[in-house]
Amino acid sequence: MSNLGFALEGAWKVLAAGLILGAGLPALFALGIRALAFGAGGDAEVNGGRPHRTGKVMAYALFAIVILGVLLGITFIVASGFGKTISFEHIVPTIVDK
Amino acid sequence: MILALVVVTALGFDFTNGFHDTANAMATSIATRALRPKTAVALSGILNLIGAFLSVEVALTVSNAVVRIQNPDGTPKESLTADGGTALLLIVLAGLIGGIVWNLFTWLLGLPSSSSHALFGGLVGATIAGLGWAGVNWNGNGSKLDGVVGKVILPALISPVIAGVVAAVGTWLIYKLTVGVAQRFTENGFRWGQIGSASLVSLAHGTNDAQKTMGVITLALIAAGDWTDTGNIPFWVKASCAVAIALGTYLGGWRIIRTLGKGLVEIAPPQGMAAESSSAAVILASSHLGFALSTTHVATGSILGSGVGKPGAQVRWRVAGRMVAAWLITLPAAAVVGALMWYLGSFVGGVAGAVVIFALLLVLAGAMWLRSRVTPVDHNNVNDEWDGEQPADEPRVPAGTGAA
Repeated sequence: MSNLGFALEGAWKVLAAGLILGAGLPALFALGIRALAFGAGGDAEVNGGRPHRTGKVMAYALFAIVILGVLLGITFIVASGFGKTISFEHIVPTIVDK
Repeated sequence: MILALVVVTALGFDFTNGFHDTANAMATSIATRALRPKTAVALSGILNLIGAFLSVEVALTVSNAVVRIQNPDGTPKESLTADGGTALLLIVLAGLIGGIVWNLFTWLLGLPSSSSHALFGGLVGATIAGLGWAGVNWNGNGSKLDGVVGKVILPALISPVIAGVVAAVGTWLIYKLTVGVAQRFTENGFRWGQIGSASLVSLAHGTNDAQKTMGVITLALIAAGDWTDTGNIPFWVKASCAVAIALGTYLGGWRIIRTLGKGLVEIAPPQGMAAESSSAAVILASSHLGFALSTTHVATGSILGSGVGKPGAQVRWRVAGRMVAAWLITLPAAAVVGALMWYLGSFVGGVAGAVVIFALLLVLAGAMWLRSRVTPVDHNNVNDEWDGEQPADEPRVPAGTGAA
């Protein structure tokens, strides 16, 4: 296979991972902020409304997912510094030798 | 003697690498005022320092991607190490000078060009001059993504597009999802998200880029016979590289920060967060998959994408065009400088030759620094409006009385 083939093969994977993590996590974060505003009620939203407790709970759940994603990123940086990488083979990310 | 010059020059390159690339992580946070300019560069500098120390793995074979001056195990080619390694040291020195000169020149123009391309370009040029065309690894051996084409050119074409698409999708989603939420909630929340994602980019930058310089210095040490272990890097090399890149980052390439933060797109916090998340995700995903790329290209692509994705945002394509032009000529231009330096150095010969090209580097760097003082860009005016005249008598805090 030529260099171009290898590059395109890699590019698809990077694009897919990028969309899930790079656009998906910010979208969850945005949802979290929306939920937070929903939870605060009043002038936090353009159309007003009463405060909702569920909004707050949802918001923090969403933020927790985002933080997990970020932790995964940090783990990967640190692991690759030590010559390790993260394997997604068993769904749950595990640190393995490169 | 030559070895000392190589080490100093390599650290110098590491330093320019740092201040050239501060913008990649922090331009958006500075432009949206999520962080004060000085705070942003300090944060980025510290994270780069940490990142550099985290890179325990040895990047000794970094030059193998583009030139053939090393064996696969990282030791220098025997033909180049006769005579105390002078032949190899001169190639590396000329290559590093090519990289630094190009980095400084693009900084003067405020263009975010890739530091890795500048380094590779300089090495390629010096190798062509020293060993001929066959000394360059153009296309790899066909078994994996390798060579100048596979490791440098293709990723440079592909990665900004990927980052741009991801950032555009992210921006679009964020704006769709937060319709109807009061601005004080979105602004504040996304500022935090942005700081977090930008920090991730800084950390990744420290691990990736400082490693390259560490590899180059260790290669020079081995060539000169001062180090033999190809599995480890001397601690002082690691420490000095980490400090050099962190100091460079802290100094801040304000000209480039300004171009990326204000020149391409007017960035709002949600866009900044989308852009930095996209950069972080693309950088980490590709290093996971062994896909070499430049932080600069990714960051620029992401910022452009965040402009495309926001409904009604304006993108200054003319500025973007200038950047792309700079990317295209980075490799050949640094190569030309590297080659010229090699010819000059080998014409004078020996230690004197190395001293002459090193002195020339100092002169060129000094001249460009003086030129930059004519129209200074620093933390005081980094966020000024991009378009429109800045009246000369506008009251402005003079440089030096600020937080500096």
